Amino acid sequence: MPTNRLIEKEKVGTYAAAMFDAANTAGGEQAVLEVRNQIEQVIKLMRSNMDLSTALVNVDYTPEERHQLVSSVFADSNPAFREVMAVMAERGDAQLLPRVFESYGDELAEKLDTIVVDVTTVVPLDGQLRETIKKKAEADLGKKVVLNEKIDKSILGGIIMSAGSKRIDASVLSQLAHARSVLKDRTDGGESQ
Amino acid sequence: MKARAIMPNRSAHASFGAMVIAALSAFATFVVSMMTPALAFAMSAQDIAGQVVGADAEASTDAATGGIGAILPDMVEFIPMLIAFIILWIILAKFGWPAFNGMLERRENTIREALQKSEEAQIESERVLAEYQKQLADAKATAAKIVSDARESAEAVKADITAKAQAEAADMIAKAKAAIEAEKRQAITELQASVADTSVAVAARLIGQDLTDDDHRRIIERYVAEAGSFNAN
Repeated sequence: MPTNRLIEKEKVGTYAAAMFDAANTAGGEQAVLEVRNQIEQVIKLMRSNMDLSTALVNVDYTPEERHQLVSSVFADSNPAFREVMAVMAERGDAQLLPRVFESYGDELAEKLDTIVVDVTTVVPLDGQLRETIKKKAEADLGKKVVLNEKIDKSILGGIIMSAGSKRIDASVLSQLAHARSVLKDRTDGGESQ
Repeated sequence: MKARAIMPNRSAHASFGAMVIAALSAFATFVVSMMTPALAFAMSAQDIAGQVVGADAEASTDAATGGIGAILPDMVEFIPMLIAFIILWIILAKFGWPAFNGMLERRENTIREALQKSEEAQIESERVLAEYQKQLADAKATAAKIVSDARESAEAVKADITAKAQAEAADMIAKAKAAIEAEKRQAITELQASVADTSVAVAARLIGQDLTDDDHRRIIERYVAEAGSFNAN
């Protein structure tokens, strides 16, 4: 198995471009965003399910069996994602999916001049709030922004925004964690801050 | 010195000789006195014969010897005594004096040797005494040095023990202080952590229970307005 970083980078770029082009050709921006969300969900699934992640790269299975496994498990997914993922599993490159996701975001920004911003809140956003967030992200990033909204009660309140490797954590949970850290570390109870 | 006091001298020898001569004179007198009765008897026989043949003549002789004859020695006694004295003197000069002189010389030699030995013994005793005194002084000095060394050693050991004890005490105190300080910090830290956890838990529960959706949205809007830029990350 080649381990050369340039070769792997080329592979990752090829898989991401194939997914993006297939999704964009089939359904435009909507399909591209859908594929992106599905890639993200599969990455989380692989991280939480070791049987799946192990099976996708298990050399005891033949390439055809791994291809068939992906086609069966992700049968309801976007065909663009499913077919490229099946090829990756067939070639034993399923573990490259997180890097493909990053490269997919680059494809999105480069070819559609669009950046997907993941927004995590406790309550659903209303129109005004969504517009406010979108304007801020577009002002910061200089590109068209598409919000990928998620609801997560565990953050207690506030908002977490992430675009690729960039992240703004303005959640109540992080504020409380910071307050807890200050209270624990400072001998003056944090009063000097 | 006492040894010198008994040294022989000539006067002592002379007196001793005089005593010997006196003894010899007495001995001669004794010999003469023993011989005198015989001579007196012989003279008595002659006198009886003379008395018979010369009664007349005696009268004339007594008249002649009546003055000076009283102090002159009687030849009848004097001559035997002289002969006896001469014989005795010859005998003594021949046999007695050499033996006597030899005895004196032996005695002198004996006394001299005794005195010499006494001097040597005295010198030896003085030397031994001096040596003994020197050894005694050395022993005293050695004893004093040993005592001094022992005292110094004891002082050093005492100082060392005291220093070690003080160091150990200081170390124990420092460790105890450090342990107390560490426990104090640990207790403060645990208390702070407990207070922090409790405070955050209470705050989280209040936020989750008391805030409405609109409150959350207002918070989100405020946080978005106050949040930093993506480019700042």
